[in-house]
Amino acid sequence: MITDSFVKTMEDIVGKEYVRSSEADMELYSYDASLIGGKPGLVVFPGTTEEVSKVMREAYKAGIPNVGRGFATNLSGGTIIRFQGLVVVLSRFNQILEIHPESKYAVVQTGVTNLEIQEAVSPLGMFYAPDPASQKVSTIGGNIGENSGGPRCLKYGVTSNHILGLKMVLADGEIVDIGGPSLDPPGYDIRGLMIGSEGCLGVATEITVRIVPKTESVITMLAIYDDVSSAASTVAAIMKAGIVPLTLEMMDNMIIQAVEKGGSCGYPIDAAAVLIIEVEGITTGLKEQAEQVNRICMETGCREVRTAKTQAERELLWKGRKGAFGAICNLSPNYLVNDGCVLRSDLPVVLDRVKEISEKYGCPVANVFHAGDGNLHPLLMFDSRNAAEVDQVHKAGWDIMKICAEFGGTISGEHGIGEEKRDAMTMVFSGHDLNTQRRVKKALDPKDLLNPQKVIPLVPEGSDQLPDTKPTVLKRLGGETASGVGEAMAAIRKAAGEKKAVRIAGKGTFNGFGNALKQEVVVLDSLNMTDFIEYDKDNQFITVGSGVTLEALQAKLGGENQWLPIRPPFCDGATTIGAVVAMATVGPERLAYGAPRDLLLGLQYIDASGSMVSTGGRVVKNVAGFDMTRLLTGSLGTLGFITESTWKTATRPEICKKISASGSFANCFEAGLNIVKSHLQAALVTITPGEGGQATLSAGFEGLEMVVDSQVERCSEVMKSAALSVDGAEQYPLLEGYLGSAFAALWAVPFTLQADVVISQGADFVSRLSPIARPAELLLDAAHGRVYAGFDALTGEQWQKIDALAASCKGHCRLLKAPESFAGEHDLFGASRPEWRLSHLVKQALDPHKVFAPGALPGRI
Amino acid sequence: MTVSANYDAIAKCNKCGFCHVACPIFRATGHESGVARGRLAMLRGLIEGRVEWNHELEDPLFTCLGCGACTTNCFGAVPTADLVLNARSEYFERVGKKPAHRLLFEHLLPYPKRLHLAARAAALGKNSGASKVAKAMGLLRIFGRDLPKAEGIVEKLPTTSFRGTTRPETYAGQGKDLNIGYFVGCGVDVIQVDAGAATFNSLKRIGKSVTVLNNCCCGLPPWSYGDIENTKVLAEKNLKVFAEADVDVIVTDCSSCASFLKEYRKVFAGEPQKLELVEETRKKLRDVVEFLYTAEFGASGDKEAAVVDSYHDAHGSGSAAVQAVMKNSGKTVVTYHDPCHAVRGQGIKSESRELLKSIPNVEFREMAEADWCCGGAGSYALTHYDLSQKVLDRKIGNLKKTEADILVTSCPACMIQLAWGIRKHGLNTKIFHISEMTAYKEGLTA
Repeated sequence: MITDSFVKTMEDIVGKEYVRSSEADMELYSYDASLIGGKPGLVVFPGTTEEVSKVMREAYKAGIPNVGRGFATNLSGGTIIRFQGLVVVLSRFNQILEIHPESKYAVVQTGVTNLEIQEAVSPLGMFYAPDPASQKVSTIGGNIGENSGGPRCLKYGVTSNHILGLKMVLADGEIVDIGGPSLDPPGYDIRGLMIGSEGCLGVATEITVRIVPKTESVITMLAIYDDVSSAASTVAAIMKAGIVPLTLEMMDNMIIQAVEKGGSCGYPIDAAAVLIIEVEGITTGLKEQAEQVNRICMETGCREVRTAKTQAERELLWKGRKGAFGAICNLSPNYLVNDGCVLRSDLPVVLDRVKEISEKYGCPVANVFHAGDGNLHPLLMFDSRNAAEVDQVHKAGWDIMKICAEFGGTISGEHGIGEEKRDAMTMVFSGHDLNTQRRVKKALDPKDLLNPQKVIPLVPEGSDQLPDTKPTVLKRLGGETASGVGEAMAAIRKAAGEKKAVRIAGKGTFNGFGNALKQEVVVLDSLNMTDFIEYDKDNQFITVGSGVTLEALQAKLGGENQWLPIRPPFCDGATTIGAVVAMATVGPERLAYGAPRDLLLGLQYIDASGSMVSTGGRVVKNVAGFDMTRLLTGSLGTLGFITESTWKTATRPEICKKISASGSFANCFEAGLNIVKSHLQAALVTITPGEGGQATLSAGFEGLEMVVDSQVERCSEVMKSAALSVDGAEQYPLLEGYLGSAFAALWAVPFTLQADVVISQGADFVSRLSPIARPAELLLDAAHGRVYAGFDALTGEQWQKIDALAASCKGHCRLLKAPESFAGEHDLFGASRPEWRLSHLVKQALDPHKVFAPGALPGRI
Repeated sequence: MTVSANYDAIAKCNKCGFCHVACPIFRATGHESGVARGRLAMLRGLIEGRVEWNHELEDPLFTCLGCGACTTNCFGAVPTADLVLNARSEYFERVGKKPAHRLLFEHLLPYPKRLHLAARAAALGKNSGASKVAKAMGLLRIFGRDLPKAEGIVEKLPTTSFRGTTRPETYAGQGKDLNIGYFVGCGVDVIQVDAGAATFNSLKRIGKSVTVLNNCCCGLPPWSYGDIENTKVLAEKNLKVFAEADVDVIVTDCSSCASFLKEYRKVFAGEPQKLELVEETRKKLRDVVEFLYTAEFGASGDKEAAVVDSYHDAHGSGSAAVQAVMKNSGKTVVTYHDPCHAVRGQGIKSESRELLKSIPNVEFREMAEADWCCGGAGSYALTHYDLSQKVLDRKIGNLKKTEADILVTSCPACMIQLAWGIRKHGLNTKIFHISEMTAYKEGLTA
């Protein structure tokens, strides 16, 4: 309840002019871009993180529910607070704080719009990849809350793939820095958990985003169709051909009409559907790729393909696409937009079903969507002044979500669950899955004050949890029925009953990783979990049991000319997939393909009670619920026994070629950075030291032969211009890469260090490392600021110094490998970080009796 | 017309939020009351009975600059500015009108002579440092509560109005056959008399005759305040002046006046007998920017085509003030501010730039957000001082980045506001009306 004294407290914190409480003001904060409405009791406009912290601390003390709000373009009611709650408006956080093109990151305040980031980094030759259609007006804070997508995420992935760090205010007002400009901070992927948590776990005030160099060329095509299903088959055919366009957007006739009524954007008004297809890359080979796309279009029933001739033409096409939601008002006052996601091969039939639903409830439907991702946006039209229409449209929306779940997809690809889709969560998750997510919420927001009653269905009256039901619509394969899982469940239950701890193992690649366990443990292995649960080559994903080896997996995918685009260091063909997920281990080729956290679509795992929990799914965009997939990825077997994982797969590149050059370490580093920030699209860039202060810089290129050859050629010029002598180019094998022997050498010594620092300080770190402890082996992943170093010996004092050195380079480090005696005495993840507290809260909530690998986590929990 | 009568137009807003990015007021305040979506939600709340008619409506209804940027950014083109000012009139009826507005709208604006007198009195007061005299006269106080801060905006008022020296009558020109009517807006008349002189000289060179019209205020100020009755009084007076003047075109050097004069049909909606005259007049109306552009680069019309020749034959003395700023060697950097009433009100954008680029030794440098409102918005700067300053600061920030020597625009209200911003931020940039720039160019060919 908001009292006069609470209002006074707020005025003291933020100043009187930044507190609003009139009836008119409450009306103004009672809506967002969705159909949900509800009046708050007070609105405050803090101007600094400290003010947000004070506001939230007071709200916590007074027990007042609250929600952080940017520009409220939310499409699922996520920014609506009821119960006379408090709205914390973040519109004053509108500054871009830092831009570091060399290190590929920028720090911005939460109320900066997505487009303002693009405009700020563009003159420096960079861009921020996620581009939700609302980018002109949606704030980065909102993008984080929803894990927004956008047309470009077909190629680049969603918001979560591009956020490095967050400054957050927690429910009780504590300010905590999560992640930062350096990759993969030790501890759980709390940043991954926060992104897409819809304001339920904290309020972000400053955000560190990854920015990447602009591409050299882009070709924009408008493919015009006389029927929707042909357009859908083009989408499937393009992806099947192994092309990854930048965008693959579809608009149907109804949406074209709405847009064109608001001013011509160049779409033919008589088309049944259009596709906006963009391909991008270095200029060489791009025209050929566009021609191939053109050919596929024409082979799959396209009427005509037009290519944008000028930047203005391109912008006009995008203006229409990005304004499509708003343009609906030219046909009807209101719309309800669904954003379910299905496999793209299911698009034609799902679209038919959507049409049937629209007819059944008498709500006309317009479709605009991210076709390449299978992410639908049926816009159901109605007039909110008519109560009967409102009722019908909600029913229609519900049925569309059901269809998406029935086809094995998800209920929300990018707009969030909020309040609107909350009750539909049971379509795709079991009661136990949802209770698990509730526990995470409770761990971080014990009083349930942060955006309450969102995302997770409400518990029945008189109960403190949801009934343990199966998902009402979605059928998940695998799970308990997969081989080896039932036994593992029983074993965990038994161990828990006997109060014994367990440690999960695969083939033993990473045995001993993490802090030394202080007690006796039962070792459970995944070796019987060898099922290939589902492989869909056309939709490019695979679900496998954790005991499947990398070798077996790659062999299976190789049969369809696909692969899992990872070469995890220190692993061999016998390493299990489960180990890769639990360790989130990743090599330098993440530059081109991403890390496991970027490639994983869903997981199933056995929790501390011996029950199955499902996370994510099998579609490429999925924001249903908290991002438990990322939380589990890299959790070192401390939250559960991951039994299966679903991965995005990729078409195998035609050729892999590296070019190497030698010179001084400094010159190698300079050239390495130049390659990274150029238009070249290297898959990896690495530096290894050689004799007499010399070093070798190598860059790998993977893809079509013609494109690779051209890039190798241009890369050698970059190398030469940094005074390096080019040693020549050579092919390397796809699965093994060219670093096998370097990693083997790093693993052959007693101590193996992995340090992550900001990219531009990679060389600095290396040069300052030697005086502390001279590494026997060294490898610098120049594109990511990651240093691997092997030591024959290391003292506790040296370790502390190295840890401090990494911190001084805005980074962190860990010992991947250390002798037992050393591991028993030191924390292998370095000095304590404030954000570890959150990891421990999550661990405590999900594994209260410390069943899984107690003590292995950073901070020894 | 009541707010309820606009229900359909108001309900067309589906709250997508795209207006947030375009609204200068929202960008300054971050408050939902300062953006089209919020203003429309208020109006809808009023219609649906969730919101009451009371003083709480003041922000949503009166902080709108009326710049129209939201409508341009809206796929449904919801005319928020019109809907809001329409609601203002209902607000006055239900909640009450400030007597100060009455004085201005009913007793000053319809009578050019009274306005001249009042301005002269204020000028004497200000120029002699005894601004208390002006205050006592209540002239400026009519604008409302923020006046004490706002008074610094108008640095110096001329002691003689434009039409005080150039009487409203017909003057012979050097052109061949075009008879031009010169509509003198209040701003040019009492404040930017130099711009008025430059326009007048240009028109004389182009036209066979130039009639300085005895018009009164165009009506935009009361219209913006939702005072439709007083707007009609002014509009009718002007229509009579137009009908009596025997001219081919009517030119004004105030883009706000030009835009509003072209929109008189809004004022007389529902009075078909007047619309014919309104339409006839509209065809003759020209913003000085489009008129000078036609003169410089040619026209599609028949009679106006003749303008081109006579214009290029014209010689003049040029504008000494512009001359003083132009660099002796190298390029002088010039940038342009689009008045809302030119760019959105009349769709004039490229013409001004072409005119400026045609001036020798000018490097035209586009300013970021050139078409964003400066916060002047007629008398807005006087009624909502703090807010208008935030909008202005953003504008001056963009101006600064251009490092321009000269800032040009075509609306007296913008000029007052921008000049104040330049002074406040200590910039060396000088501001000129586009007429003064063309007058300078003509001087070069002399």
